[in-house]
Amino acid sequence: MRKAILFVTFLFVSAFLLLGVAEMRPFGQPAVADMDDYFITNAQGEVAVNNVVTAVVFDYRGFDTLGEATVLFAAVVGILALFRKPKEDER
Amino acid sequence: MSNHGMSVIVRTVTRFVYGLIILFGFYVIMHGHLTPGGGFQGGAVVASAFALLLVAFGSAGLKGRLNLHWLQSIEEVGALAFLALAFLGIGTAFFYNLLANSGGFLFGASVPAGANAGVLNAGGTVPLMNWAVGLKVMTGIAAVAITMLIGSKKEETE
Amino acid sequence: MIVQSILQIVILVLIVVGAALAVWFKDLLASVLALAAASLLVALEFYLLQAPDVAIAEAGIGAALTTAIYVIAIRRTARKEEE
Repeated sequence: MRKAILFVTFLFVSAFLLLGVAEMRPFGQPAVADMDDYFITNAQGEVAVNNVVTAVVFDYRGFDTLGEATVLFAAVVGILALFRKPKEDER
Repeated sequence: MSNHGMSVIVRTVTRFVYGLIILFGFYVIMHGHLTPGGGFQGGAVVASAFALLLVAFGSAGLKGRLNLHWLQSIEEVGALAFLALAFLGIGTAFFYNLLANSGGFLFGASVPAGANAGVLNAGGTVPLMNWAVGLKVMTGIAAVAITMLIGSKKEETE
Repeated sequence: MIVQSILQIVILVLIVVGAALAVWFKDLLASVLALAAASLLVALEFYLLQAPDVAIAEAGIGAALTTAIYVIAIRRTARKEEE
């Protein structure tokens, strides 16, 4: 019974993945490219950076990077709090 | 076993390789605005060198080389520097790149349009943010690995 | 172009094989190494798809750091998976 349910789930997921592959656009031709064209055209002039990915990450979409840095900081603080040595009076 | 690290082969190869890995990581951070990569990627590469040292030598080879308090302090300095650089352009907008194309001494040069080799002294706050995020990521992940190694050892001995 | 397509198919099949081996092995150290190999192949595939930024991040985080942390965790616990 459990194996049958797993097999049906497997079939469903593979069917959806194959449908997605069949509908996929050709490589390098996204559906909407206005934003990409703006970045590629103007990044060198506005940010003075050759690496357009870095220009997007640290300038145009800097707020996302701030969120990522916050997530990393929270993870580090969490692990340090989890593994810290307990003080004598806290045991 | 855990205090003395892995076999002689692993330790010898680590001694040869870890300096090169750290050098490559700093190269990726420093040229983050010219070549593929950036602060996060370079910091991850340097942190992987630290993790290699940890796995190869164990916690016994760590004594006196990497201080956990220093690592935490540098991580917080990196985070605060990133936030301060973001607030630098608050007169126009949050994360406004004030230093780019300003012609100033600090990363103020302009780059020509089209394909070129790149100008190192350009980009405004982007290279500074690369360094801030790179320091933050490398020290943060190294602190996580060291804490996991040392903290789990304490519980074993108790 | 044809050569690159064949290379990508080979790499994708090897990624699936590495992931399946990571589940299959009972020795957890071998399982972690299979996962690291699959991660390196994912990084190679990112590079072939012209995303070197993601490739560096994947090779650093996925192949090196997670492997190191798993090895540290396996040292503290049992190496063999229980039946």
